[in-house]
Amino acid sequence: MAFQSGKTLAELEIGQRAIVKDVVGEGRMMVRLLEMGFVPGVSVALVKRAPLGDPLELRLRGYHVSLRRAEAGAVLVEARVDEARA
Amino acid sequence: MSELRIAVAGNPNVGKTSLFNLLTHSRYKVGNYPGITVETREGRLRVHEDPDKPITLIDLPGTYSLTPTAEDEAVAFRVLTGADGHPRPDAVLLVLDASNLARNLYLALQVVELGLPCVIALNMVDLADRAGVPVDVDALAAALELPVVPTVARSGEGIETTAAMLRSLGPALATPLPNALEARVSKDPARARWLLSAALADALELTGATTSEREALAALDPEQIRTAVRTQIEARYAKVDRLLAGVIPAEPERAQLAAPAMVRSAQIDRVLTHRVFGPLIFLGVMALVFQSLFSWADPLIGLIEGAIGWLGDVTRNALGEGAFTDLLTEGVIAGVGNVVVFVPQIALLFLFVGLLEDSGYMARAAFIVDRLMARVGLNGKAFVPLLSGYACAIPAIMGTRTISGFKDRLVTILMIPFMSCSARLPVYSLVIGALFAANERVFGPFTQGGLILLGMYMLSTVSALVIGAIYKRTLLRGPVPPLVLELPPYRLPRIRDTARHVWDRTADFLRDAGTIILAVTVVLWGLLSYPKVEPESLAEGETAIEHSLAGRLGKSIEPVLTPIGQDWRIGIGLIGSFAAREVLVSTLGMVYGIESDVDEDDTPLREVIRDAKTPEGEPRYGKASGLALMVFFVFACQCMSTLAVVKRETRSWRWPAFMLISMTVIAYVAALLTFWGAKAFGL
Repeated sequence: MAFQSGKTLAELEIGQRAIVKDVVGEGRMMVRLLEMGFVPGVSVALVKRAPLGDPLELRLRGYHVSLRRAEAGAVLVEARVDEARA
Repeated sequence: MSELRIAVAGNPNVGKTSLFNLLTHSRYKVGNYPGITVETREGRLRVHEDPDKPITLIDLPGTYSLTPTAEDEAVAFRVLTGADGHPRPDAVLLVLDASNLARNLYLALQVVELGLPCVIALNMVDLADRAGVPVDVDALAAALELPVVPTVARSGEGIETTAAMLRSLGPALATPLPNALEARVSKDPARARWLLSAALADALELTGATTSEREALAALDPEQIRTAVRTQIEARYAKVDRLLAGVIPAEPERAQLAAPAMVRSAQIDRVLTHRVFGPLIFLGVMALVFQSLFSWADPLIGLIEGAIGWLGDVTRNALGEGAFTDLLTEGVIAGVGNVVVFVPQIALLFLFVGLLEDSGYMARAAFIVDRLMARVGLNGKAFVPLLSGYACAIPAIMGTRTISGFKDRLVTILMIPFMSCSARLPVYSLVIGALFAANERVFGPFTQGGLILLGMYMLSTVSALVIGAIYKRTLLRGPVPPLVLELPPYRLPRIRDTARHVWDRTADFLRDAGTIILAVTVVLWGLLSYPKVEPESLAEGETAIEHSLAGRLGKSIEPVLTPIGQDWRIGIGLIGSFAAREVLVSTLGMVYGIESDVDEDDTPLREVIRDAKTPEGEPRYGKASGLALMVFFVFACQCMSTLAVVKRETRSWRWPAFMLISMTVIAYVAALLTFWGAKAFGL
C-alpha cells in the first residue's frame, strides 16, 4: 500500500485513512489530542465533514471524534493513497 | 465508625452515572469544591449495605484524562488526590466501556498510577459481545492485576458483584518511581506528572499548585516539560496497545481503527448529520425544545398561578384583612409562587437536555452548529442554552452546565439575559398596543405591531451575539474552546436516569435560587405597600402606590428617566418589574388605579396610557418614549430571578452584580439613543 507523507489530518479525503506521525502546536491542544489517542503510529480515518464544512468527524481507536479543521491541522499524518476516493 | 470513601471515575458516555444511580440510595448530597463550579455527587452504597461499614461513593465528572485542560479533569484529580480539605478517597471504582477499551484504558492507566486500590466495572459487555469485540475479562484482570467485574448498567447485571468487590478491597497499588524531572516538581510522582502536564497545557490555575511547586516548574526548560509529558502520554498508549493485544481476541487492526460499536450509529448519522437533512432535523429538534418551553409549559404555569391565587384567597378568608395577612398572601405566598412558577420550564428543559445528552444527539447538534458558534468564540454546546433564553433565562442559565470551561460558561451566562425572554412579551405588547397603530398594515401580511416586535427580537439576538463576542475578546479572553468532541454511539436514554437528573436540577433551583427569589419578593412587596395611606386622604387622581417607598423612589429617580422619555410612573413600574419583567404591566395598573385585573386584559391600561396628558395638555407618552421603553427592556436585567440563578451558578455575587450594572448601563444608553434618535426622526 502506498503512503503520502507531509499531510495533515485536515487535508484527508472523505473515507481516507492515515497513520499519525506527529502532533505539533500549542501545548494545551497538543496534550489534548495526544490524550484522545492521536499518538504517533495510530490509524485514523476521516468519516465526514459537518454540513457547514467544519468541523470534521474522525474515526480512531474504536470511536468517533469531532475536531475543527484548525485543530486537525496540528496532526501530521502519512495518508494512504490507495484508498482515497477521488 | 470509619466510613469508606470510594471515587467513581470513567470516561463520559460509559454509563457511569447509571451505575452510580444503581449502586447508591436515591438521596445523596452534592459536593462543592471551592472556586470551582463543577460538582460531584456523593451517595451511600445501598447494595450489600452494612450499617457498621458504610461506604460513600463519589461520582466524579466524566473525563477522558486527568490532565486539567478544563475544570472537570481538575476536579477529578483533586478529589482523587484529596485536595481542598477533603480526605483522599480509600479506593477508586473505574467504569470502562467494554466496547471501546482502546480509548478507555488510557484514563484507567492514569488512575492506576495514583496507587489507590481499584475495582474495574467493565460496563456494556453485552454491546462489546454483540459488536464482535468480546473482552477476555480474566486476561484483563490478570494484565492489570485488578479485580474486573463485567457489568451491564442497563439491566443491572454485575451490580451485586461490583458492590461485593467494593466491600473486599485489595491493597494499595505500587506507584511508579519518579524520574529526575518529576522529582524536581513534587515528592509525589503522580502529582508531579499532573503538574507538568498542567504546565504544558497552560492550566496551572486549575491545579491549586503551591508557590514552591510553581517556582519549581518555572525553573524548568519548557521544551523539557513538553518532551516529558509527550513521552509519558505515548508510553501509556503503548501500554494500552499491549494490553489490548492480549485482551481482545479480534485482530488488532480493528481495535486500532474500526469502531464496531459505532456501526449502527454511523448509519443513523448518514441521516442525522447529512449535509441537508442534518441541519433540517436539527432545526426541527430545536423548534420542539423551544416550542415546549414557550407554550407547553403554559398550562402548568397557569395551574400553579391558579393554585397560588387560591392559596392566597383561602389564607385571606381564614385570617381576615390585616397587615399580617397582606405579608403572608402578597409577600410570602406570592414569593413562593414566583419560585414555583419556573418549575415547569426548568423541568421541561432538563428533560430535553437529558434526553438529548443521553441519546447521543447533543454531540451531533454541537457538531452541526459549531461552525456558527465558533464565530462568536464559543463551541456548539452553547447553542441549546442560548436558544432556551428566548423562553426564559432561568432554565437557560442552569443549562450552561454542559459547557466545559468556566470562562466559556460565564460568557454564555452573560449572553443569555440579552435574549428576549417570554416575560418581555407582555411589556412589548402593552407599549405597542398603547402607543402604536399595531394593526396598521405596512406591507403584505405584516403589521406595524408585528414588525416592531420582530425588531425587538432581532435587536436582542444581535446584541447577545455581539456582547458574547466582545466579552470573549476582552473581559473573559480566551482561545475559541477547542472542539474535541466525542460522537458517542446512539443509545436509548434510561428514563430513570433522566428523571433523576430532572429532579436534581429542579430541587437544586428550589433550594438555592428559590430562597433568594422568595426573600426579594417579600422585600419588593414591602417597598410597594409601605407606608400605607388611607384611601380618603388621597388627592384627586392619586393612587396609594405613590406614597409607598417604591413610589417615592420612583419619583426621586424621575430626573434620570426624563432623558430617556419616561416619567416617575414608569419609574415605579421599573422597580416593581424586578420581581419579573411582566410585573411592569400590573404595577402600572396600580399606579393608574385601574381596578380590573390587568394581567388578564391590558386594554383599559393601554387606553389610559394612550390618553394620559401632561399638565400642559400634551400626550404624556409618545412613540419615542414607547420605543425607548421597549429598548430599555431588551437590554435591562430587570429580573431578580436571573440574578439569583447567576449567583447560584457562579457561586459569588460578583457576576450577578456585574450583570445587573452592565446591563442597566447598556439599557440606559440604548434607550437614550433610541429616544433622541426617534425624536430626531420626528416621532
